[in-house]
Amino acid sequence: MRLHVRRVLFILPLLIPIIGFAHGVSSADQELLHTGGLLAYIRVGATHMLTGYDHLLFLAGVVFYLNSFKDILKFITVFTIGHCITLIGATYAGITANEHLVDAVIALSVLYKGFENLKGFEKLNIKAPNLLFMVGIFGLIHGFGLSTRLQSFDIGQEQFLAKILCFNLGVEVGQVLALIPIVFLLTLSRKHKQFPAFYKAVNWYLILAGVALFAYQMYGFFNGH
Amino acid sequence: MKLNTNSIIKQCKPIYLLLAFVLLCSHDLYIKMDSYFLKPNQEATLSLYNGTFENSENIITRDRMLDASLVAQGKRTAIDPSNWKDQDSIITQLTFKTGEAGTYVAGVSTKARNIELTAEKFNSYLKNDGVLDMLQKRTTDSLLNEDAVESYQKHVKAIYQVGDVKTNDWNTVLGYPIEFVPQENPYDKYNGDTLEVQLLLDGKPLPNQLVFADFIKNSHGHTHDDESNEHEHDGQKHSHEHSTNTHKHAQEEKEHSHTSGQQLRTDAKGIVTVKLPEEGVYYLRTINMTRATDSDELTHRSKWATLTFEVSHAHGANSHTHEHDTESEIPTWLFVLGSFIIIGILVLIFRKKDN
Repeated sequence: MRLHVRRVLFILPLLIPIIGFAHGVSSADQELLHTGGLLAYIRVGATHMLTGYDHLLFLAGVVFYLNSFKDILKFITVFTIGHCITLIGATYAGITANEHLVDAVIALSVLYKGFENLKGFEKLNIKAPNLLFMVGIFGLIHGFGLSTRLQSFDIGQEQFLAKILCFNLGVEVGQVLALIPIVFLLTLSRKHKQFPAFYKAVNWYLILAGVALFAYQMYGFFNGH
Repeated sequence: MKLNTNSIIKQCKPIYLLLAFVLLCSHDLYIKMDSYFLKPNQEATLSLYNGTFENSENIITRDRMLDASLVAQGKRTAIDPSNWKDQDSIITQLTFKTGEAGTYVAGVSTKARNIELTAEKFNSYLKNDGVLDMLQKRTTDSLLNEDAVESYQKHVKAIYQVGDVKTNDWNTVLGYPIEFVPQENPYDKYNGDTLEVQLLLDGKPLPNQLVFADFIKNSHGHTHDDESNEHEHDGQKHSHEHSTNTHKHAQEEKEHSHTSGQQLRTDAKGIVTVKLPEEGVYYLRTINMTRATDSDELTHRSKWATLTFEVSHAHGANSHTHEHDTESEIPTWLFVLGSFIIIGILVLIFRKKDN
């Protein structure tokens, strides 16, 4: 767990290009939603997941810790149920919050996963919270983040629930598409003799990315970005 | 069997209180819909609530209607009187097909009717209905003991949104003796915004006029079936009764008025700025009353106006204003490449450290 401060300071600037663009939705998406019907919601949902790097980093952190496909399926299912609840529920009920604050909490979930994977709790002699439970909780938070993003679009009133469900479906499609290469790379890397170093590197990367994303979102919150 | 009169009187107290108010207040007229967000070409119902915004007590007979119109796509269409139906003798309703997407206006204008009231009842009605300027004038002129014969007429509008396309009919002036005309499309507004509405009297801006604006919350501002349009003022559900020749007011125990919500006064241009703090159905009401100095029969004339519309919640209002700050996103490949580079550097560091 110990890493020299100088090394951390060396790595952090490299993250800047990434943290500045943690979500890939644009007013082009808004136009697409206006004109593209329900299919557009699926497409924007998938795009958001595939370019929502904080979600991907968290997912990578979840599957990195797991050894069997059965476990991966179990944890991803819990995460999916969690984010579906808040994505559909919060959007339908019109519940929203400051986007930067929600994304800051999501950034902390990335940090948390890296820290947990590196057995940070053990090293601090603290009993780690139930992993599956925490993934469920973070699923709810990520879903609220997705909902906040969806609500930032003017999606009109027609077929309101259908639009939410289609966006949710798109998110799931994006999640599956993202998981395929992640699981593939992970499976390959496990066979390599350098896996322990790779494992540490990836999880330290999650911690650093989590810190950087958190700082970026808090900066945005206080500076009205 | 001995009758306990005290007990009977006690038990009947609510009825006495109710009866005591039966003759004190008036009827507002509103155009009300289950939802003001409708789909194109869907069947919808427009109701005339003659009473309060929550409860209708009387129908509006067709012979009372001077005008009933729908405005859409720049075209005003008269509503065929035969299309109105009365439900349970208390609500007059119109079932219609919405048509193309756009912002629609519905309007109903009624003929003037006369009402005779004792001074006490008239004063009470002025107070409870927020005709405070006239009450003040009666007080100042020492006329509080003067009975009244009032001519009243009601002119009401509603603005509703069909589909997602906003059109410019929302500011249509229907030419009623008194009417509210929004200065902006209410359907471009969201909770937390304000809406400027102009009050016209005989086509001219009416300055310094009291206007009351209130709203009922909806569970959602969109087209989710929401039948629970009842609301309470100060924790008291209420209803009103107002027949053709008397002012009636049924009330539960506590006195209340029609003047809940925001109390506004029009400026020199006849404009009030209505706050829209939450999503819900908003209704504006005003009664413009003048002394009838030119009539032997009447003591007062009043013109009533209401306007109803619905406001939905802002999408992401707390976080941003429908602007997305990620226009200059980097491609996913760059993110993946960047991540690999960083992880690669970390791998080298840890491999060196482990060795």
